[in-house]
Amino acid sequence: MRSDNKKWFPLNIGRKNQEASNGCSCGKPSGSCGGHTQEVKKDGFEQVFDVKMDRRSAFKQLAASLAIGAGAVSTSCSMFSGEDSKEKAQIDWEEQFKGNYKLMTDEEKQATVDRLVRSYQLRTGKTINMSAKNAEEDVLFGYAFNISKCQGYMDCVSACVEENNQDRNSQMQYIRIHEMKDGKGFNFNEADDNYYHEVPAEGHFYMGTQCFHCDNPPCVNVCPVQATWREDDGLVVVDYDWCVGCRYCMAACPYDGRRFNWSKPEVPEEEINKNQHYLGNRLRKKGVMEKCTFCVQRSRAGKNPACVEACPTGARIFGNLLDPNSTIRWVLENKKVFRLKEDLGTEPKFWYFMD
Amino acid sequence: MSKHIIHRIVCVSFLTLVLCSCKHGEGEYHGITDKIAAESKNYHGTLSSEVHLEGIETIEITEGGHTFLIPERKGQIKSYACTECHSKPLAQLQSKDGKKAHWDIKLVHANENTMNCTTCHDGSGMDDLISLTGNSIDFNNSYNLCNQCHTKQFEDWTGGAHGKRIGGWAPPRASMTCVNCHNPHEPHFETRWPARFNTQKIKERE
Repeated sequence: MRSDNKKWFPLNIGRKNQEASNGCSCGKPSGSCGGHTQEVKKDGFEQVFDVKMDRRSAFKQLAASLAIGAGAVSTSCSMFSGEDSKEKAQIDWEEQFKGNYKLMTDEEKQATVDRLVRSYQLRTGKTINMSAKNAEEDVLFGYAFNISKCQGYMDCVSACVEENNQDRNSQMQYIRIHEMKDGKGFNFNEADDNYYHEVPAEGHFYMGTQCFHCDNPPCVNVCPVQATWREDDGLVVVDYDWCVGCRYCMAACPYDGRRFNWSKPEVPEEEINKNQHYLGNRLRKKGVMEKCTFCVQRSRAGKNPACVEACPTGARIFGNLLDPNSTIRWVLENKKVFRLKEDLGTEPKFWYFMD
Repeated sequence: MSKHIIHRIVCVSFLTLVLCSCKHGEGEYHGITDKIAAESKNYHGTLSSEVHLEGIETIEITEGGHTFLIPERKGQIKSYACTECHSKPLAQLQSKDGKKAHWDIKLVHANENTMNCTTCHDGSGMDDLISLTGNSIDFNNSYNLCNQCHTKQFEDWTGGAHGKRIGGWAPPRASMTCVNCHNPHEPHFETRWPARFNTQKIKERE
């Protein structure tokens, strides 16, 4: 990839590439596997067009692109539209043809984030702060939940919704707190996840679920476009701009960790959290998946996720699994911990324990 | 003909060798615990949560082999030092003609047989707390008072399983101390209504 070659200008479909075919069969999502030295990554324009596609999808791609292109051309050539709308058209054009975030270089990541920030500024006149921070070295995030401490106050749910700019209309929430009867075990069928009475209720205990950031995530394997993947620090993330909204991942998740935007997500302007991350709480659009990211915009900066910070009972513990002195490691090594549906082999990085 | 077979055998065995030598995704570790054990061997984390602790006055303590920060306490108590009012012996202050003080404090902690004010407060040296055996305990280290009975909770707290972190997850570790969450005079948590109720969920499930 040459950086001086702007990827979105030439429209030579089916251009032969000099790159070698990727012959690795190991399926490892990150890193090299020893067989070949360098995996040539396609990006941007090439990811969209330089693939074998049938006539129908080719037409679809072209039609969508032409619509954007026509808009861009008409605005940029118009004598009447202002500089702002020309810039906006340029941004839309470049955003349309950008690649999968997973495959971007750091510069490309920063470029798309800059475009999104500028685009938001042009549209609303407000400035947001968006990060493209990569996974930190020697970090693997893990979470522990104390079922004897949770009182069912749901402060975590509120904090999560405010932090992550979730759709207010559909009242989307990543976290569910299940009210379970004592003596019935973990019976999710009979549990109530939408109670409204004084808590803690007599003879009940509370158990929270959310995305468990599995180390072997079934949702990632089923994604037909690789719009969701596991980062090096263990976070399972979604590229909202690459997601096609097929909801395979939603069906594949055994923990109900994923949410779908059936309608255009709406957040009142004054409630928008402007401290954002590309893979985290930036504003989503209609028809894409989203989920808990352990508040990537916070956790990669060393902060605790919003749910951990909001919990008044200390039932939620978050930290670095690779740090032998971290509190999460102490919990795993000294408390009797368990995970949900461990037999599935999904290896969730979310443990439950009791006092 | 035999040349062909030999050639084929060589090709196939070479292929299997190539395929086997390639680590297969998740097969690299048997599970997450193996992964954690292997990858934390050469741990050298760089991230610090010091910036998130700015403006919070803390003191460093070492308990049960764990060294961490807890919030400084004496500066947070409005009427500290206690001896500013407690200038006379307690018996004199308790007389009827004296000004009433601490009338709002109700002790709901264990029962009357187990606890009263002087189980923790030192009547002869009001600026400090007192242990069951009569040793002086600083207000900043009031957890030493609680751990006389709540040994299990104390152990969990020093390890990090009980209580709550301040700042972030990254080192240095700063944890709330007992009295930051529990009112020592009334340590239980109150029942209350949940923070939210999802009306859309009700509609969806109709």
